[in-house]
Amino acid sequence: MSEGALPKDDVVLRVDDLQKSFGGLAATDHATFSVERGTITGLIGPNGAGKSTLFNLISGFYEPDGGTVEVNGTDVTGMEPYEVADHGLIRTFQTPRKLEGMTVREAMLVGPREQPGESFVSLFTSPGAVDEAESANLAEAERILEDFEIDHLATQPATDISGGQMKLVELARAMLAEPEVLLLDEPVAGVNPTLAKKLKTQIRRLNEQGTTFLLIEHDMEFVMDLADPIVVLDQGHVLTEGTPDGVRNDERVIDAYLGGGA
Amino acid sequence: MSLLANPKETISDLSRPEKWVLGVSVAFMVFLFGALVTGALGPAYFLFLVGLAGMYALLSFGLNAQWGFTGLINFSVAAFFGIGAYGSALMTADSSPIAGGLNPIIGLVVALVVALVLALLIGIPTLRLRADYLAIASLGLAEVVRLIVLNERWLTNGSAGLRGIPGFFKGWPVLSSFPETMPGLRLVIIPGSPILLETSFWRASLNVLLVFAFAGGTYLVLRRAHRSPWGRVLRTIRSDEDLARALGKNTYSFKMQSFILGSLIMALAGVFYTHLNLYVGPGDLDPITTFYAWVAVILGGSGSNRGALFGGIVIVTIREGTRFLNEVPVIDPAPLRLLLIGVVIVAVMRYRPQGVLPPQRELIWPNAIDDRGAPERPESGVREQKGGGDDE
Repeated sequence: MSEGALPKDDVVLRVDDLQKSFGGLAATDHATFSVERGTITGLIGPNGAGKSTLFNLISGFYEPDGGTVEVNGTDVTGMEPYEVADHGLIRTFQTPRKLEGMTVREAMLVGPREQPGESFVSLFTSPGAVDEAESANLAEAERILEDFEIDHLATQPATDISGGQMKLVELARAMLAEPEVLLLDEPVAGVNPTLAKKLKTQIRRLNEQGTTFLLIEHDMEFVMDLADPIVVLDQGHVLTEGTPDGVRNDERVIDAYLGGGA
Repeated sequence: MSLLANPKETISDLSRPEKWVLGVSVAFMVFLFGALVTGALGPAYFLFLVGLAGMYALLSFGLNAQWGFTGLINFSVAAFFGIGAYGSALMTADSSPIAGGLNPIIGLVVALVVALVLALLIGIPTLRLRADYLAIASLGLAEVVRLIVLNERWLTNGSAGLRGIPGFFKGWPVLSSFPETMPGLRLVIIPGSPILLETSFWRASLNVLLVFAFAGGTYLVLRRAHRSPWGRVLRTIRSDEDLARALGKNTYSFKMQSFILGSLIMALAGVFYTHLNLYVGPGDLDPITTFYAWVAVILGGSGSNRGALFGGIVIVTIREGTRFLNEVPVIDPAPLRLLLIGVVIVAVMRYRPQGVLPPQRELIWPNAIDDRGAPERPESGVREQKGGGDDE
């Protein structure tokens, strides 16, 4: 068990004793933590601590060597990413993914899950249902773009917007998938301060509306301001978990970041 | 058709490359018409060429559904084409060593089923892996199918091929005897060079009817699929498969559907070829067919259905047009054909890497856009429109 784990009532994501090694390197070394519903949980750690590996394990992109992942009380260990997503866990990527040849709103429309029009047969047998769902999704996409104050980008090519705007679009699209818990991998990496502030406001707003967040971030100011609690990862295992202030003043955390304590 | 109802406006709505293609097509049609009227081009042969163009269009549609939509690299276009051709020929031909003499509809069904099974066999092990594995496996598959056809004489007649194939409409009321019952016509448009419309002409026009039905139906299905949420997932997979997976899409299943759809369309092209050419041999499975289909799709614009149609027609024009150069003694047309195709593909890659008619910028289920009353007309060029251009 990790030290300093906080008591939690309503857990939406539970990671228990997760292990993964690449060759001789234990990238994830018996990591255990959980995310409480309604929180914005931060995941920090020095470079190479295994944060991204952990994300890939949780979201089904990597198969763990041992341990379990539970989403909403269901064991999703070893499931395909799309199955994990079906259980309500959606992730974004560190580098924004570009959808070539699509406009922003088209790229947004990939988000909603279980669209009737995603079945080839329904396109011909029940075009009415496809019409209806597509109109509803389009309206919803436009509403979310407005909420994010990027509706003016709707018909722009998705590859022609700035990196920060792409991050906003990614977040907006992930919301269309109606996740219960959303994993954000460095949401403000390479984003200018104005947009970073905007992203922070959006994440907070979405959190107030009920979405749980787990986010990796290197920008300490950003993560300390936004997230509570914060889980600190070092060399593949959970070093500690606590409030921003508690973590900031923890000797072991400082050691880990400065390369000592090993 | 809006082009007929309001030609001026429709034409001014077109993008530059669209106008260019329209212009060239019209000029080409005028040229062909001239050749027909003066008797330089026999009407039956002309219709055969139209059939061939339709067949190449079908092949390009099939490859476009795989590569253009989803980014699947399939180098066994010739194999699926050959499966279609041999599947129907083995069922219907007099000289078939196994079945033979059956109704062409049965041939069509058998061909499609065999193509489906083959697509599953190659898709199941490779579609879970990275894109390159399908490319390698399909390259091998094409050779395996070709060598089986060449060597398994008890099954396929080997290098002798299959003869005695009936027309597709054999056994249909009216249509089966249509070419024979039609009277021979003799049109004199320019004195001294009459145009003869005989049985072969009527037979060829039935083939054209058939290929229009096949290619037209395929085009409508693909157009609807491409603009749908289904097509959108495929395009997402083509750009970034991991993103599609993270958003909860079962990418393996979508890739399989796209692969099967494309393979069936290629087999359909093969079925048509059987009843067009009335002879099928192992030479028809040569890899060159695969590369013609690839050139057609890349030339037309990957991901674009009308681009695939355009590419297919260009390929046939080059392939068959060079035959008329036989009269020029200095040039040997066979190598010239490949050279021309090479030049065309280099020129397109250099000056228009996205292809001549790339897919439209935005593809959303049309009714969803109409419902919202937005007079949004996506253009193929990159638009400079900023802010408030889409207000309602």
